[in-house]
Amino acid sequence: MDYETLKLIWWALIGVLLIGFAITDGFDMGVGMLLRVIARTDIERRVMINTVGPHWEGNQVWLITAGGAIFAAWPMVYAAAFSGLYAALIITLLALFFRPVGFDYRSKIGDWRWREAWDWGLTIGGVVPALIFGVAFGNLLLGLPFNLDDLLRPSYEGSFWALLHPFALVCGLLSVAMLAMQGGAWLQLKTEGLLLSRARRITEITAWAVIGLFILAGIWLLLGVDGLHIVEGRPADEAITPLMKTVAAGNSGWQANFRAQPALYAIPLLGIIAALATALLSRRESNLVFVASSICLTAIILTPAVALFPFVMPSSVNPDISLTMWDATSSKLTLGLMLVAAAVFVPIILLYTAWCYRRMFGRVSKQYIEDNSHSSY
Amino acid sequence: MWYFTWILGVLLACAFAIVNALWLENTENMDRLEAEEERRREGTGGA
Amino acid sequence: MIDEAVVDLSRLQFALTALYHFLFVPLTLGLSFILAIMESCYVMSGKEIYKDMTKFWGKLFGINFAMGVTTGITLEFQFGTNWSYYSHYVGDIFGVPLAIEGLMAFFLESTFVGLFFFGWDRLTKVQHLVVTWLVAIGSNLSALWILIANGWMQYPTGAEFNYESMRMELDSFADVLFNPVAQVKFVHTVAAGYTTGAMFVLSVSAYYLLRNRDLPFARRSFAIASSFGLASALSVIVLGDESGYTVGDIQKTKLAAIEAAWETEDPPASFTLFAIPDRENQTNHYAVEIPWVMGLIATRSIDEPVLGFDKLIPQHEQRIRNGILAYETLEQLRAGDTSDETRRQFADLRADLGFGLLLKRQTDNISAATEEQIKRAAQDSIPSVPLLFWTFRIMVGCGLLMLFVFAAAFIESARHHSAASKRLLRLCMWSLPLPWIAAECGWVVAESGRQPWSIAEVLPTYLSASSITRGEVIGSLAAIIAFYTFLLVVEVYLMQRFIRKGPSSLGTGRYHFELAAEHTAQRT
Ligand code: HDD
Ligand code: HEM
Ligand code: HEM
Repeated sequence: MDYETLKLIWWALIGVLLIGFAITDGFDMGVGMLLRVIARTDIERRVMINTVGPHWEGNQVWLITAGGAIFAAWPMVYAAAFSGLYAALIITLLALFFRPVGFDYRSKIGDWRWREAWDWGLTIGGVVPALIFGVAFGNLLLGLPFNLDDLLRPSYEGSFWALLHPFALVCGLLSVAMLAMQGGAWLQLKTEGLLLSRARRITEITAWAVIGLFILAGIWLLLGVDGLHIVEGRPADEAITPLMKTVAAGNSGWQANFRAQPALYAIPLLGIIAALATALLSRRESNLVFVASSICLTAIILTPAVALFPFVMPSSVNPDISLTMWDATSSKLTLGLMLVAAAVFVPIILLYTAWCYRRMFGRVSKQYIEDNSHSSY
Repeated sequence: MWYFTWILGVLLACAFAIVNALWLENTENMDRLEAEEERRREGTGGA
Repeated sequence: MIDEAVVDLSRLQFALTALYHFLFVPLTLGLSFILAIMESCYVMSGKEIYKDMTKFWGKLFGINFAMGVTTGITLEFQFGTNWSYYSHYVGDIFGVPLAIEGLMAFFLESTFVGLFFFGWDRLTKVQHLVVTWLVAIGSNLSALWILIANGWMQYPTGAEFNYESMRMELDSFADVLFNPVAQVKFVHTVAAGYTTGAMFVLSVSAYYLLRNRDLPFARRSFAIASSFGLASALSVIVLGDESGYTVGDIQKTKLAAIEAAWETEDPPASFTLFAIPDRENQTNHYAVEIPWVMGLIATRSIDEPVLGFDKLIPQHEQRIRNGILAYETLEQLRAGDTSDETRRQFADLRADLGFGLLLKRQTDNISAATEEQIKRAAQDSIPSVPLLFWTFRIMVGCGLLMLFVFAAAFIESARHHSAASKRLLRLCMWSLPLPWIAAECGWVVAESGRQPWSIAEVLPTYLSASSITRGEVIGSLAAIIAFYTFLLVVEVYLMQRFIRKGPSSLGTGRYHFELAAEHTAQRT
């Protein structure tokens, strides 16, 4: 397989991992966010937590593996993004700390203050990472103030506060709404009675919020953000570094790819339609709502990815060194090797994950929690 | 090949532990001791 | 210029988070196999008590596991946040095992650990047993891949520097996978994990036996822990010896530091049992030596010398001089002079490029380094001797002690005398911290023995750091320390609470406190 194809495949695979993260870990983060919103009693909260109990741990590995895959396939992106966004990443990590211990320790002691504290922890563990990931995506579209010297050492010239650009904040809110919607859709599959009807209402509300925020972000992007395009570069099947191209502004609203391939407009459209379907399906009993919500997430994440292509991390201070999926990648051997690993393991993972979900299928009732109060979360 | 040694070693160590436990189980000493203790506890508990 | 403070703070942060992670990791590695053993006994013998054992120790496993996951995530992202030049420089190789670890190991262990806890009445007996084994195998595979990555840092095989992309690139994955350092590291480290798991179960069971409570439960746990522990303690020692041999072969500087060998002795070298190493004067005070032993351990011969710093530092100085030439050639190449002549010259000198980079700490302009700067860089090319000397001895001491404890416990449990000898039970109980002390010391030996390199002889630690500010690292370090301390308090509190309750916490109605409660209820 040639180098160019490998690079393209890895762009797609990293997308798959991030979307896998949003769909799976997204619903348990969403449940965390909704914990204090729709559950009134301790037993209701326990029901909610136990719907994700057997799964959140495996779901979180999507994030970890996406991190590992970016390290291996795009080392330069891993290096520049995580050191540049240092404070944001540390805050995300701190918020993520609450989840494993929150899920696991909450039920171990009956005291209500103890449980209330961990419930806050789970809420933070859901909201904060979602918000920051959304803000980060927004900043990619705006361009990040980083530079590379001639030894390819990345340095960052912005501050944490500069990340909080209003456009990026809209993206952050969109991300929160999306995951809350996904959590609600999951609860529709797994709960019953009062909790179920509240889950349906909250899914509908968040789905409308997703539509509103997505359209707002889109309009803002078109009117107020100037994208980049490559003026001159080396062929994509060569081993190239980010220092070997010329980049210019003048890709208004990152529309160039859509203009060149109008069929791509289907992606944001699908996002809106799927969100609409999620809202409407929430009005009655339907398991399809989780499918609709997952499609919505996929389409919304793909939209900025496609708009940026081939850029991955545009630089606002020195556009020429912006990182692209052609020039920030690993060597051909590494990409090929990793592709083999992914081709072997991803199907196996999907197989046993599906088996686990099948085994744990079914609604979690209050009765069940009461009967198993020593072994459930 | 240390990886290979590891596979054998772990299996051996686990098998050793399982066999040891089941062997103790089978010599029935575990249960005899338990019965004795049960009696002793009854004795002290009742007093 | 790179800020030294950022480098040192980042090192501190990495060391703290990694050492902290490794408080939980070995218990996961060992306890998961012990759970699998207990559940196998349940399926084979059909006795309900083994199921209770699996569930109770599984509860403690869960409390520990949550912390392992929490702290692991920090490490996964820390290469990017704090070691960004490192990530760029070796990501092509180093990222691969990390990504495969996720795909092959983390998914396996984390998916099935959920089923382990929640699947008891949704799976058949055998299915559940398989799930437990898969959790154990998954956690061990994760150790395998991370240690392949770590082993590569100690001995970077299968990769070459590419002057066009200014980084190391993979050229043989098989070399990375079958790296001799990675292999011995893996077996030694997982054996350390098994020892930890076994000591944990042994010690807590001894506590129940001493308290005369839940005896059938405790005695069976004790028997399993002592047999599994005996096998593991033997392995960890044998494999530690093998690690020592590999180090003697490949990382001569580390070995010299472990031995505080300032001068090269005539072979076979003696083993220094006790000494106070003095870096200033390059000598040891109050040394107690056992002749021959070190030569035998490190070289397995009687005529090969163990090199001391008197030989190693001049060697390094020579390589630094070569490194300057390598760096100059690299600059020519990057300036566009890619003639065959220059390329050949660079290929000849490439192996010493890393030594040239050591000078970056002294001067920005490597080619203009002064004599004095070269000398200083050579002096700085060895790790901290007293630290390595002592941590190594503590590790070995703990290992030998534990072997004794496990052996005695095994004999006792096989002879059914455990009720009799309180002294042994107390010894078992108080041995609880030993495996953790040994393992933490082991990592200090391995990691600080690699200094000043982050990738041995390829990339100095100093250059690996990110271009971030002091304030950022201080902030993150403070936040992490505060969080980790808080989490540790919570974890230890929960652990001791459940250990005190013992199997009564399962709510089966069959164990001590429940029976006692019933008893009082009947009386009143
Ligand atoms: C895959 C790589 C890797 C792995 C598995 C580990 N480390 Fe490490 N360690 C590093 C990669 C690394 C590093 C990134 O390379 C550091 C940071 C700075 C440095 O020089 O090395 C480091 C530094 C470092 C230091 C400080 C050394 C010094 O600065 O003098 C200690 C004590 C440890 N580590 C301990 C550990 C422990 C307890 C680990 C077990 C989990 C561990 N390391 C696993
Ligand atoms: C410095 C490098 C390391 C990194 C980046 C790292 C990363 C991680 C991550 C991300 C997790 C969470 C996985 C999950 O959610 O299931 C984890 C857990 C784990 N890691 Fe590490 N780790 C490192 C060092 C080690 C070492 C040296 C070992 C073993 C010898 C190890 C063994 C484990 C195990 C067994 C777990 C399972 C969870 C637990 O410990 O309870 N790790 N690690
Ligand atoms: C008693 C004899 C022992 C010997 C001779 C021994 C030897 C060694 C050596 C030479 C290293 C350094 C390897 C390197 O730098 O790459 C090492 C590392 C280590 N040791 Fe030990 N060790 C012993 C016991 C133990 C015990 C009892 C434990 C824990 C329970 C332990 C845990 C570790 C760990 C976690 C490491 C770091 C990982 C590695 O490099 O393998 N060791 N040991």
